[in-house]
Amino acid sequence: MKRIPVVTTAALSVAALVLTACGSDSTSNSADATDSKDAASGPRTVQLLTHDSFALSEDVIAEFEESSGITLELVSGGDAGSMVAGAILAAGAPTADVIFGVDNTLVTRALEAEVFEPYTAADADALRPALADQTFEGRVTPIDFGDVCINIDDVWFEAAGITPPTTLDDLADPEYADLLVVQDPGTSSPGLAFLLSTVSRYDEGWTDYWQRLLDNGVKIAGSWSDAYYGDFTFGGGGDRPIVVSYATSPPAEIVYAEGEPPQAPSTSVMTDGCYRQIEYAGILAGTDEPEAAQQVIDWLLSPEVQADIPLNMFVFPARDGIALPEVFEEFAPQVDNAEQLPSDFIAQNVNDLLAEWGSVMGR
Amino acid sequence: MTAPGWLRWAWLAPAIFIVAFLLVPLASLLARVVTPETLDYVADPLPWRVAGLATAQALTSTALALVVGLPMANALTRYRLLGRRWVLALATVPFVLPTVVVALAFRALLGSSLGTGFVIVVLAHAYLNMAVVIRIVGARWSTIDPRIETAARTLGANRWVAFRTVTLPSLGPAIASAAAIVFVFSFTSLGIVLLLGDSSTRTLEALVLRQTSILLDFQGAAVSAAIQAVVVGSVLLWAAKQGASVASGGTRTFRLVQARGAARMAVAAVAMVAVLIVLAPVASLVWASVHSSSGWTAAWWSALFGSTTIDAGSTRIGSPLAAMGRSITFALITGLVAAVVGGLAAMSVLAHRLGRAFALATALPLGISAATLGLGTLLAYGRAPLDLRATGLLVPIAHALIAVPLVVAVATPTLRATDSRLVTVAATLGARPSRAWWTGYGPTLRTVMIAAGGLACAVSLGEFGAASFLARADGPTVPLVIARLLGRPGEASFGVAAAMAVVLVIMTTTLVAAVDRGGRRA
Repeated sequence: MKRIPVVTTAALSVAALVLTACGSDSTSNSADATDSKDAASGPRTVQLLTHDSFALSEDVIAEFEESSGITLELVSGGDAGSMVAGAILAAGAPTADVIFGVDNTLVTRALEAEVFEPYTAADADALRPALADQTFEGRVTPIDFGDVCINIDDVWFEAAGITPPTTLDDLADPEYADLLVVQDPGTSSPGLAFLLSTVSRYDEGWTDYWQRLLDNGVKIAGSWSDAYYGDFTFGGGGDRPIVVSYATSPPAEIVYAEGEPPQAPSTSVMTDGCYRQIEYAGILAGTDEPEAAQQVIDWLLSPEVQADIPLNMFVFPARDGIALPEVFEEFAPQVDNAEQLPSDFIAQNVNDLLAEWGSVMGR
Repeated sequence: MTAPGWLRWAWLAPAIFIVAFLLVPLASLLARVVTPETLDYVADPLPWRVAGLATAQALTSTALALVVGLPMANALTRYRLLGRRWVLALATVPFVLPTVVVALAFRALLGSSLGTGFVIVVLAHAYLNMAVVIRIVGARWSTIDPRIETAARTLGANRWVAFRTVTLPSLGPAIASAAAIVFVFSFTSLGIVLLLGDSSTRTLEALVLRQTSILLDFQGAAVSAAIQAVVVGSVLLWAAKQGASVASGGTRTFRLVQARGAARMAVAAVAMVAVLIVLAPVASLVWASVHSSSGWTAAWWSALFGSTTIDAGSTRIGSPLAAMGRSITFALITGLVAAVVGGLAAMSVLAHRLGRAFALATALPLGISAATLGLGTLLAYGRAPLDLRATGLLVPIAHALIAVPLVVAVATPTLRATDSRLVTVAATLGARPSRAWWTGYGPTLRTVMIAAGGLACAVSLGEFGAASFLARADGPTVPLVIARLLGRPGEASFGVAAAMAVVLVIMTTTLVAAVDRGGRRA
């Protein structure tokens, strides 16, 4: 009867040690969390549920925590779609207090599931005019927006002596045969945005357009990174100089370059056929910190956070009059005529659109 | 068999673990999703068509993984060979590489000429899963007495006949077990299929993710997930039945054999091929980690370890070093939990009449998609009254859940083949039941537990799906960091991601080699 208990005891004590070691890296947060449960008047913790592309500067967060007495705990929900799925399934008894990053393709479904506690941000009237009426009766607050656009490898086109395409129709032109790579809309968020852009542009004729793209040798990649780093000529060893990406990819190329940033990006944006994505934040219905949650929403729309958003998430601030970083001013076009479909139209039709797309493309 | 008393209750620990961390989350999820109308979705032909495609793809992947893996299992677990332990560890590397990384590496290696589709998906699956064959079959192979085959050959059998009539029957259950697991992994594959696949390689796992997080069609997802669970359950049941017919064989891990003559060349050649197969895609990662558009660079590596750390001051990526520490901690907890839970489960399988049903129950997590597991765990343990996220334990718990079936698969065939007469002999000689049991099973148990624990650590190091749901946003693991880097433009993003992937390869190889070191010493 001796050996096994000894082994088990040893195993358990090792486990305990490891756990202690592991716990030490999150001590501050969990300690605060415990405090807030013990003393209602003590420091409060707000859990902010975000997708895995969320980022802000650490000092901006620290400043908020200090001035408000609220501890902000970032909770990851996976990618944007998975996060919304989780929020819908937990509607009414949420896994966090505030959610950030619900976009306009998914927001209707979240609204239908009554995920949000209505709240109008203190600075709601400071929103850009185009976004001011996008709050769905005060249930969510637009925090940022960005455009999914065709990106062009200028260096490749210059070397090939060809004029780059400028419109969606150009992409189906035989002059640009076998040059375009897009993402599968069934697996990729920018891929879906590009599909929606073509639906918005061509209405009923969107399937014909995709047939033309297919005839012109369009390549379908599984994800943004596979397309950008695998197939795009700029990103890596690819052979496609036209890719579906973001309007802010060229400035990102500069910010995340090696060593000294280059003077100008070697890619540019085709401003026709862009699709507008808006990201919302909302209070999760059923939170036990409603008042602190409101402060977090206000903070997300504050000038400090709004000015911090571009270089962290490579999207544009929803608040009007926020100065943009220089790389944005120079290389990220602000698209005026971006395509957009009503959120409820998407909710009703996305299943059919994807099925139809699949049958046109033979996937 | 005279089983010690405590062994009859050993099943309780794995049972509680499975109920608490698999069944409770599943029940929380189903309670929210399933309604009477869900049945209508069963009539939808789509999931059934996808199941058929996935079956064809998984069968091909399994066949290829066996063809590649079996010679390696033989060469790497039975023969004396310079650097054997490192080659064995290296062969485990593909299994733990994040699929995003493997897909990009395959891309870089094979070029876009191969395109996407059936062939490249099957190649990638065989590459990822040959470690499963090597580990599971190797663990059994190393307990087969090489003298039996020698005896057969002395009696006139040629090499092939000796293998077919002596060795193969003893290996059967282990091969079935490995094949079942490779099939299940290929059948439920997600990352490879999304990145390298086309319409001919769709899987139910990918369909579940699409139905969950793009269509938000939870009912359809529930039906797809159920079909997947049924297929996986049937395959595992089949494998379990193969295991039942085994005769008891070897009793311990035998010493490594010194191969001579032609055999020696063959062993060395197989080892070389193994190294080449593993290293070719890895080499393309190393290349990417020291190159930029302007030539050689050390910038990506110094961003990992130096002062110019990437995204300083932003929550976006977090410190790469912290992510490595976190990943190692999670891996060790996973290895420990999975080895203890899986080991107890494997022993219970031997001790109980209902053992086989129980073994099947512990294999359930293999059929559950990461999205299902992630969302279920979140609903059960991610909110009041029981929020375990702050403890940081949800990730290793989910990883252990995924690893337990592997531990059981590695341990059961070998334990079952252990000669129970040793226990009887020890008991006859006056040893108390526990002591006698340990004399019989202890040495084998120790070897397999260490091998299985190493595999479990490796699973944790490379796992992405469940971690993406359950990790704290400010506490990403190495695969999550790699995925975040690959999710944005810029040379530095790709270069640092490649360097991180190389670090992951080194971490895995070292960890597995260290674990194996103990294994042979038993």
